[in-house]
Amino acid sequence: MVIGIKDGVKLFGISVVCFCAVFVCTFFLNYYIDAQAIDGAVSGELRVLYDANMTSAKFTCAITGGVLCLIAVVMTVFYIKLFIDGNAKRFGILKAMGYSDNKIALSFWVFGLSTLIGAAAGYGAGHAIMPLIYREMTIDGMPAIAINYHAELLAALVVAPTITFSAFACLYAKLSLRRNVVSMIKGGKAAAKSKRRPLDKQHSFLAEMCLSTLAGKKSVVFFVAFACFCYSAMLQMGLTMSDLSSVIMGVMILVIGVILGVTALFMAITTAINANKSSIAVMKAFGYSDKERALSLLVGYVPFALLGFAIGTVYQHVLMTVMVNVVFADVKTVATYSFGVGYFFITLGTFIALYACAMAVYAVRINRVPIKEIMSNE
Amino acid sequence: MITATDLHKEFNGGAVKALRGVSLTIKQGSFVAIIGASGSGKSTLMNVLSGLERADSGTVVACGQDLSAMTDKQLNEFRREYVGFVFQQYYLLPHLSVEKNVRLGADLAGNKNYLREIEAVGLADKLKAMPSALSGGEQQRVCIARALAKKPQILFLDEPTGALDESTGRSVLDYIAKLKAERGFTMVMVTHNRNIADMADSVVEMNSGKIIGVTDNPSPKSAYEIGW
Repeated sequence: MVIGIKDGVKLFGISVVCFCAVFVCTFFLNYYIDAQAIDGAVSGELRVLYDANMTSAKFTCAITGGVLCLIAVVMTVFYIKLFIDGNAKRFGILKAMGYSDNKIALSFWVFGLSTLIGAAAGYGAGHAIMPLIYREMTIDGMPAIAINYHAELLAALVVAPTITFSAFACLYAKLSLRRNVVSMIKGGKAAAKSKRRPLDKQHSFLAEMCLSTLAGKKSVVFFVAFACFCYSAMLQMGLTMSDLSSVIMGVMILVIGVILGVTALFMAITTAINANKSSIAVMKAFGYSDKERALSLLVGYVPFALLGFAIGTVYQHVLMTVMVNVVFADVKTVATYSFGVGYFFITLGTFIALYACAMAVYAVRINRVPIKEIMSNE
Repeated sequence: MITATDLHKEFNGGAVKALRGVSLTIKQGSFVAIIGASGSGKSTLMNVLSGLERADSGTVVACGQDLSAMTDKQLNEFRREYVGFVFQQYYLLPHLSVEKNVRLGADLAGNKNYLREIEAVGLADKLKAMPSALSGGEQQRVCIARALAKKPQILFLDEPTGALDESTGRSVLDYIAKLKAERGFTMVMVTHNRNIADMADSVVEMNSGKIIGVTDNPSPKSAYEIGW
């Protein structure tokens, strides 16, 4: 086998994203299907609440499922590209021996296994929490909604994503393997197209190193911003939801936000460090201090982290305004929503503390990058 | 001057004895070639002498400082202050231009005239070129400029011509020799090529982790006189 099962299940980040997406979609879609059974029995004021519930279930599924699916696609692309770059020599030798791109690319189906693990776990967890969710969404005076099992949801949320992601991984791998065999055997990466204008020479090497790290791995920048976006949006939304809707829903959103944020940040910075190991080792050999090495690699992400946080704040505010003032506009029992300044500062404070901790941990990891091993491995 | 005394170094829990009681003195401003077969311990010796790694026992005194008694931070400062490296695999930073790669070394020494080093290795017209656009010889010359831009007192070279063809290899060695003659730094080169060792002031031969001979060379040859 060209790629081992172990390689395929290593995409922890994708498993987490799939878990979150399928978890939320499972109980909301199940509720949506089951609630249709009482559609005819709902009228008057209850009708408004019922419609709002159905809309919010659809709305949440579409947003959560759509956004997280997109993130999983980007993560898959990101990981496969890194995998091919990291194993260029191995694939180059296979190609030289006569393996076709198609034959090698087909073995990338194993990357769909991470989707399977995450989706299956999310589906199971979604079912486990379903009774609680149904209870939370039950409206006084409305007929009880029974939990039914829907096999089509298993197919749509677990089987289909696994097949789609496996096929996508093969297709993307096929495109990525279109490289010169000799350069692959020499361990060459895909040519970097840096369009960044060189800085004025007054800038120090460390400033250049910092900017080139950002320019060289734009996907890492995206994931750092995304991680902070998730944390900011979902933490504030979770805190607000605890007041407006229910504590359970609030906590759930909050936990998903923290998991997604931490996972994306972990993946992004780990990738940045792995991609720059030899540069870090050279800097270490030349005598750059621990602080200089860590700052040159990590400090450039701070503005993007703050940008992600700011966008997350605006996003959750707009979403909550739409949900409360538009979807639930006719429902008198829902409290009015206004921007939670207190929640904003709580989120900002924990965000700064967490981000600083994460950077401190990664600074230690950077300083532990061994010089000799890296140089003798290359 | 570098003085190493009774150096021992083991790997894999003692399965590999890379250095077995190595003692060596390298004079200030000299060019020393360390030769030996693969696995003889020459690269480990260079790593220990340069402060890249520590010996299990024994002492290394370089530029008046006892490396064996230093913390990791102090070793880092030692390398920053005194040492330059030229690696066989270049290790240029791929996203930075020639100029910025050389600044990696220059900024450490506060060297504002780093363009001189680039001119010295004949790459003045490639300042803005990225490493991927350079030939192997040119990349190695960037490496040399990067190492020299930090004005090292000791330059360590690990098989600097190992990845180069004969013509490029000779030209690179010629550059290094000229720059050494101009600036007077100490040079320690690890190589498996005995012909290159003919350029050195003294040749240290290693086998199975031991020095089996040190030969002084009264009349070092130029890069174009040695065999290949």
